[in-house]
Amino acid sequence: MSWVKTLRLALRTLVRNPLRSLFMMLGVAVGIASLIAMASVGEATRQETMRQFKRMVGTFDRVSIQPGSARTRGMPSLTSVEPTLRFEDADAIAAEIPNVRRVSREQSAFDIDVQARDRTATTSIWGISAEWMEIRGDDVSVGRGISPEDVETLARVAVIGEDLRKELFPDEDPIGKIIRIAEVPFTVQGVLVPRGAGPGGSSLDNLLLLPVSTASKRLFSRDYLTTITVQLEDPSRYEAAVADISALLRERHGIVPPVEDNFTVSNPRAAMEQVEEVDSTLSSVLIGIAVIATVIGGVVIMSLMLIAVSERRREIGVRRAVGATRNDVLRQFLVEAALISALGGVVGVLLGVAGATVAAFQQQLPPAFLWGAMGGAVLLATLVGLVFGLQPAWRAANVDPIQALRS
Amino acid sequence: MIELEHVVKTYQRDDGTPVPALRDITCRIGAGEFVTVRGSSGSGKSSLLNILGCLDTPTSGIYRLAGEDVSGYTDKERSAVRARRIGFVFQAFNLLPRTTAVENVEVPALYSGGEVDRNKALALLKRVGLAERSGHFVTEMSGGEQQRVAIARALMNDPPLLLADEPTGNLDSAVGDSIMELLTELNKEGLTIVLVTHDERVASFAARELLIRDGVLASDRAQPPRPAAVASGKEPAHVVG
Repeated sequence: MSWVKTLRLALRTLVRNPLRSLFMMLGVAVGIASLIAMASVGEATRQETMRQFKRMVGTFDRVSIQPGSARTRGMPSLTSVEPTLRFEDADAIAAEIPNVRRVSREQSAFDIDVQARDRTATTSIWGISAEWMEIRGDDVSVGRGISPEDVETLARVAVIGEDLRKELFPDEDPIGKIIRIAEVPFTVQGVLVPRGAGPGGSSLDNLLLLPVSTASKRLFSRDYLTTITVQLEDPSRYEAAVADISALLRERHGIVPPVEDNFTVSNPRAAMEQVEEVDSTLSSVLIGIAVIATVIGGVVIMSLMLIAVSERRREIGVRRAVGATRNDVLRQFLVEAALISALGGVVGVLLGVAGATVAAFQQQLPPAFLWGAMGGAVLLATLVGLVFGLQPAWRAANVDPIQALRS
Repeated sequence: MIELEHVVKTYQRDDGTPVPALRDITCRIGAGEFVTVRGSSGSGKSSLLNILGCLDTPTSGIYRLAGEDVSGYTDKERSAVRARRIGFVFQAFNLLPRTTAVENVEVPALYSGGEVDRNKALALLKRVGLAERSGHFVTEMSGGEQQRVAIARALMNDPPLLLADEPTGNLDSAVGDSIMELLTELNKEGLTIVLVTHDERVASFAARELLIRDGVLASDRAQPPRPAAVASGKEPAHVVG
């Protein structure tokens, strides 16, 4: 019997046995739906994580240099780092390393009390050079940011994050107001656009920016940096840049391997790869669960088909009597299984898309659909039908027509 | 049409003991004959029918169908023989449920290699007197109608041989007679028919009766077929051994 005839026959059988077909289809559909929903939710989470990550670290064209060996943990703070990273190191990187677009100098300190009139808040303070905001992709919502002139002139000006604005200036325009840090007065000249929560869940908006020169000379009295951030012209060649920067700093710091570096060069790309790795582990677990659900759908198909085969023994006997070969019968049952599973796959994809949309809506994430995965899911469903249909079809093909026709 | 030479069929019980069903059958049935095979239950007539229908193979001996020795055929080869050369009519009709009359008639065409010819199936239904009911589901039909559909189905691939296994067994005698008359007509049009029954009355419709008893051919006799009318006029066959 030709494939076209087999397909037509299978279609007719499925249509004429709607209840059985429905249950077979649902078995697969539930599995595929969970597969699609899991994959979509996983993808939405992944995309959101990446978005947050990007918002936190800016664009992925940055290399950051911090004092201390790679074993140093935590955010570098003036009180915790070795005083090895110098303003001159930053100048040298800007001057000597190719593929460098911008270099920012940073001094950071955490848990510092700041005052505005009678209000006090605790925040982190970042002395930055003018490049910082451009490298981070930060902008001000009102006022202006830290300019090269501010750095040049050691201006006592500050740009504050949205959280700090709410705490210190809940009801008034902060621009032009005075903030005191350790009794040193600074004039607020801008408020940063809010960034929201970072991947850890903590706010990225509780901070205060000063010109790094002002921070160094007038506030902290420290002449070393906590971070140098380098923005590359060509992010794809970051490995060469990392090597060049490391070599330059070793030379400047008089370090000869095997002596350990007293600085660490890192890049967000590596961090992102780590995040992605964790993320893909999570995804594979979810998808693993969904695959198991799909296999259970296959088992449903198999048991319903086995029942169908015993119910249809007489039909099989008749077909064999009028000339159907074993192979014809095998194919008929296999095609029925594949067809109903493929249909179950399509229904499952639709259900899964609906489920993922609802889930995304509840988590307030934009839904993310992997269209390729949906084609794959239908293919998987068909495959499941074929694999789990094989044993029942084999049994059908081996029905003894003499026994089956005995009335 | 049919030649059997020393056909033996022995089944094996589960414990391995052989059970003889056909001991030594030799006979010949010519093209165009209408023959009944009569025997009580357990006589071996079903085994004979299974072999004649290429559903089973003889343990030993030779079965030639239309000159072709099919005794040693594989399952697949026998399927092809069934599709091309044999039409089956069963006691229980064995129509496919949830399927219309015309779709039932078409089933054998699925397995004969050619295209399914709907018009031919409709013509066959007309031939058996069911032109009006071709689109009906068989479950809506009476027993006699179902058997007519089954006969139309048996003719779909133009087989030279029709095997009928108690075709009137599930029908009352009036309806059964009408089925027998239909078979008689088809026989007159040239179809070879072998009909298995335990019923002498049914057997009396044919011009020749083979009696099976304990797996051997107990008698083979020509008889004036009922209803009185015409004997088939074909050459009478003869028994050897």
